[in-house]
Amino acid sequence: MQTSVRSTSSQAGERWIQSVCKMCLHGCGIRVRVKDGVVVKIEGDPTNPDNLGKLCAKGQAGIMRHYDPSRFRSPLKRTNPQKGPGVDPRWQEISWDEALDIVTEKLKKIRETDPRKFIASIGDFQRIFNWGWGAVFGSPHFFTTVGQYCGAAYHPINGMVDASFAAINDYEYCNYWIQIGCGDGFSSHLHLAGSAKRMADARVNRGMKVVIVEPRLSQGAAKADEWIPIRPATDRAFVLGMMHVLVHELGVYDRQFLKHHTNAPYLVGPDGYIARDKASGKALIWDPLDDEAKTFDEATIRDFALEGSYAVDGFTCRPAFQVFKTMLEEHPPERMSQICTVPAETIRRIAKEFGEAARIGSTIVVDGVELPYRPAAVNFYRGALSHKDGGLDNMTYKLINILVGNIDVPGGHLGVPLDPRGFWIAPGEDGMLKPQVHMLHPPFPFSFPPNSSQLLEYFPIGMDAGHLNAETLLNPQKYHIDFEPEAMLLYHSNPLWNMPSTRKIQKIFEKMKFIVAIDVVPNESNEWADIILPDHTYLESTCLVSLEPPVVTDDALRQPVVPPMHNTRDATDILTELADRLGFLGGWNDLHNFALGLVNDPEQLLGPDKRYTMEERMDRMAKARYGGDCGLAWFKEHGHRVRRKTAQEQYMPYGKLRIPFYFEFVKKMGAELRQNLEPHGVQWDYSSYVPLPFWRSSPLHDAAPRYDLYAIGFKSPELNFEENVTIPWVYELIHKLPSHMGVLINPATARARGIEDGDLIAIESVEDEILGVARLTEGMHPETVAISNGITRWVNHPTIKYRATHFNALLPSSLEHTDYFTGAFETTARVAVRKIEG
Amino acid sequence: MPRLGMVIDLKRCIGCQACTLACKAEQGTPKGVFYTRVLEKEEGTYPNVKKTFVPVLCNHCQNAPCERVCPTGATSKRPDGVVLVDHNVCIGCRACYAACPYNNRFFLAKGILSQGYFDNGLTPFERMKYGELQEGVVAKCTFCVERVEQGLEPSCVNTCTAGARVFGDLDDADSEVSRLLRQRKGVQLLSECDTDPSVYYLWG
Repeated sequence: MQTSVRSTSSQAGERWIQSVCKMCLHGCGIRVRVKDGVVVKIEGDPTNPDNLGKLCAKGQAGIMRHYDPSRFRSPLKRTNPQKGPGVDPRWQEISWDEALDIVTEKLKKIRETDPRKFIASIGDFQRIFNWGWGAVFGSPHFFTTVGQYCGAAYHPINGMVDASFAAINDYEYCNYWIQIGCGDGFSSHLHLAGSAKRMADARVNRGMKVVIVEPRLSQGAAKADEWIPIRPATDRAFVLGMMHVLVHELGVYDRQFLKHHTNAPYLVGPDGYIARDKASGKALIWDPLDDEAKTFDEATIRDFALEGSYAVDGFTCRPAFQVFKTMLEEHPPERMSQICTVPAETIRRIAKEFGEAARIGSTIVVDGVELPYRPAAVNFYRGALSHKDGGLDNMTYKLINILVGNIDVPGGHLGVPLDPRGFWIAPGEDGMLKPQVHMLHPPFPFSFPPNSSQLLEYFPIGMDAGHLNAETLLNPQKYHIDFEPEAMLLYHSNPLWNMPSTRKIQKIFEKMKFIVAIDVVPNESNEWADIILPDHTYLESTCLVSLEPPVVTDDALRQPVVPPMHNTRDATDILTELADRLGFLGGWNDLHNFALGLVNDPEQLLGPDKRYTMEERMDRMAKARYGGDCGLAWFKEHGHRVRRKTAQEQYMPYGKLRIPFYFEFVKKMGAELRQNLEPHGVQWDYSSYVPLPFWRSSPLHDAAPRYDLYAIGFKSPELNFEENVTIPWVYELIHKLPSHMGVLINPATARARGIEDGDLIAIESVEDEILGVARLTEGMHPETVAISNGITRWVNHPTIKYRATHFNALLPSSLEHTDYFTGAFETTARVAVRKIEG
Repeated sequence: MPRLGMVIDLKRCIGCQACTLACKAEQGTPKGVFYTRVLEKEEGTYPNVKKTFVPVLCNHCQNAPCERVCPTGATSKRPDGVVLVDHNVCIGCRACYAACPYNNRFFLAKGILSQGYFDNGLTPFERMKYGELQEGVVAKCTFCVERVEQGLEPSCVNTCTAGARVFGDLDDADSEVSRLLRQRKGVQLLSECDTDPSVYYLWG
C-alpha cells in the first residue's frame, strides 16, 4: 500500500515533503504532510532504506515540538538579575542586532584577554561539524557530558578494534544475539525505527534467539527468549566467566581467525610488550612446526602457536592468546557468579549455546564472495560499559566476539561508521589495522598545566571527560588550572540536567558572568542565560544528515518544510555571524573545510572572508562528498542518497589487516602518559592501561554498607535520547506507562524497608539525595532501583507538572569514579533508599 | 468488496508506542483521547517474570454491539466492515460507549476541543485538526479510512516499528493478513462476546 513520496495526496492545499527527523540524534528519513501551511503529519519516508518508512513515537511527536508555544520566538534579554532553578528570567524581546551586539561585546573582551575564560557547551549532534566553534574561539573546554554516559568507553575501543565508531550485531544473519545493557532493536541506541523492524524480522521470521542481560525487565528483556537479570556494573564478570568456559572448558574458539586475522599469535615478552625481532623490529610469532620464532610476516610460516611458552633471545615469551588464557584461569564461572549474581550454571549454559551457535569454521557466500559465517554475537552499550572500568568492560565484550571470529563477518558483530566516510582504514604497525580512537576531533597533545577544563591532555585515548569540569573548575589549584571561566555558550545543550553532581554544576553556573544560549525551547540550563538566540526547528532548517546508521550509508537532507514561524535564525548562521564579529571567521570557515570534508575537493573550499550561509555550506559539503552535480539542488529534488551498505563495505573492509586481540596499544599509551605526567608530580592512576581485561572491584562496589542498593537510569523507546517530556503528547503517554510512574523497585526489596507502591521515598548517594515515588515491580533485580529519564526534568515549562526525580544528581563526578583510560565515568550509583513518613 | 481488518503480531510488538502517537497525530485527538494504545501487563515473580504488550483499538466488529444499541443509526458498519460513527447524527447518548466490551470508544465532552495540549491556547495543528472533530459525540478508531481511500495504510500500521500491525483484506486469501491468520492462527479478543472483531491477534 505504500506509494511514492511525491504523489500521495490529491487533496487540495496538501503536500508531502521529504526530510530528516531530529527528535533524537540519529536522523531517520521522514516525510511531512503540510496542509495550508500547517504541519499535520510526520511519518517515516518509505523510500529511505534506513528506517523503512517507520518512525518512533518521538518522531511522530515532532509536530508538538515545532508548535510549542514556549519556543523562543525572538532574541531575548534577561531582565531579572536573579538566577536559579525555576527563577523566571523575565525575558524581554530584543532585535537580532541588539542581541548580537551584546554577545559580541561580552565575548570580544574575553577573547582578547584569555580565551580560555570562555566555555562552550555544545550538544547538537546532527551539526557535529559545529562542535569546534569554541576551539576556534580559542577555548579548548568541553562543558557537557553529551555522549559520555554512553560512548566514552565505547567509541575509542570500536575505533581501536576495527576503525569503526559504533557497532551492532548482524540483523540479517545473526541467529544467537546476546545483548548486554543495550536497547538495539527494542528501545534506545542506533536508529530505533528501522532497527526494531529488522530485529522483529530476525526473531519472528528467522527464529533468531535473543538473550538480554540487564538488571531491569526492559522492552528488549520482555521480548527476549531469555532475560538474565544481573547486578549493575558487573557485566564484565559475566562475560569473563563465559570466556573461561569457552576457552578452558569447551575449547571453543576460532583458531584460524585468531591466527590469521588478529595479533593473538604474537609473542609477548615478560614485560608485557610484544616481542620483536632485534634486526627488523617486527613482531614475532612462534612457528610450532619449525619450532622457532619468526617475524609475523615471514613467508616460511607454516603455523602460528597460540599456546605455550617459548625462549626467545633469552627471554620467556608467550603468544598473546596464552597470556589471555592464563588470565581467564582467574575467572571461573563460580567466582564470576558471586560478583554478578548470575548462577554459574547459567553462565556455562549461555557460553555453550553461544559457542555452538557461532558455527566456527563455516562460511557463507554473500554477493558472490565467500566469507566466514559466525551467526552468534554479543551486542552491548551504555549499561554494560559506562562504568569506572569502562575500558576494561568494552575490551571484554569485544574479546568474546573476536574469540569466535565474528568481527565484521556475516552473522557477527559489525562495526558501524560514524558517517558516510565509513571505516577509517589505514595500515598500522605489525600488519595491523591502525587504531582510530579520535573520530570526533583531533587528540589534544599532552600539556602541563592542562589547558582544557576537562583535562583532555591527560587522556590520550579517551573522549572528552566533561564530567570532570565539576572537579577542575571548582578546585582549579588542585588541577593546575590557571584560568577562571566567566562566560558560557549553551548551544542545544543542557549541562545542568545532563551532567552528574548537579549541585557542583550549579555552582559553576553561579560563577558565570555571562551566558548566551542558542536553542529552540527552554531547558534547565538556558533559563540561566542572559541572552537567548533562537534557532529554527528541524522543520524549518537545512542540514545533510547521516549519523551512525547501522545498515545503510550516505546522507539525507533535512530541509525546511514550512517557513520559520518566528523571528529565529539557523544556528550555524548565528555561529558564523558571531565568528565574524569576534574576528575568527577565517578560522571558522577553515574548521568547516575539514569538518565538512571540503578539503577533498578544492573547488568547494570556503574562503576566509565570507559569511557562507548554512545552505551554501551544505551545498559544498554535498558536492565534495558526492560530486559537483550532486549539490543541495540535487538533494532538494531527490531527498536522500541513503542506500544499503554493500557486502564489501560491511564485511572485513580492511582485508588482511589484523585486528587487536592483545591491546598493546593501550599499554603503550599508558606508559607514554606516565612518562609525561610523573615529572610534574601529578597523582594519576595508570592501572587500567592494560593490554587485556580482568575483573577487579571499584569504588562503586566497595561503597559504605549503608548504601546497600544500586541505582540505574534508563531510557525506553518513547523517550529515546533527548527532546522528550516537554512535549505534551509524550508527557501524557508516559504517565500511562508503569515504568515511568516512579522509581522502580523490586517488591521484596521495598517491603523489607516498609515501602509500598506509591510511597514517597528518598534515594541517597554519597553525592546527593533525591525524592521519588516508589513503583513496585517484579521486573527489577532485587539490589537495584531504576529511574526513567522521563521523570528527571524540572524545567520551568508548562508541560512539566511533576516533582522531578533527578537521577544524575546521585552520580559523583570525581576522578575516583572516572576511568583513567577512556574518561568514562561511573553512571551507576550506590544508594540508600528509605520511606519518607507522613 | 474487501473486508478490511488488522492482524497484530504480539510476538513482534515491542511496546514502543509509536502507533499511539501516530494515531494522535493523524486523527488530531484531544487530551485524554487515544483511539489506539498499547497496554502493558507484567506477570510472575522475580526472576521468572514476563511482560506483554498488547495494542488495542476499535475492533470493527462484524457483529457490533455498538451498532445494535445506537438509537440514531450514527454508528454503522460499512460494506467493507469498517465501523464508523457519523458525528452529524450522533447525539452523544453514549449507549455505544457502554455497550462496547473493549472500552475503545471515547466521548468528546463539551469544551474538550477548546483545550489544547499546551495550557496557553491551541496550536495551529490543533486548530486545524480539532476543526475536523465535534464535541458532544462519541469518537473512535476509523481504521484511517481517509488514508485507506488515498491508498495509504492506517497511520498506526504505517509507523509500526516492529511491523507488528498488518492491515488488509480478510476476504482475500492472498493478502498478508489472510496468510498470517492461516499460518499463525489469529485470535479475536473476548471471543465469548460473539462480536466477531476484524482485529486479530497472533500470540505465538
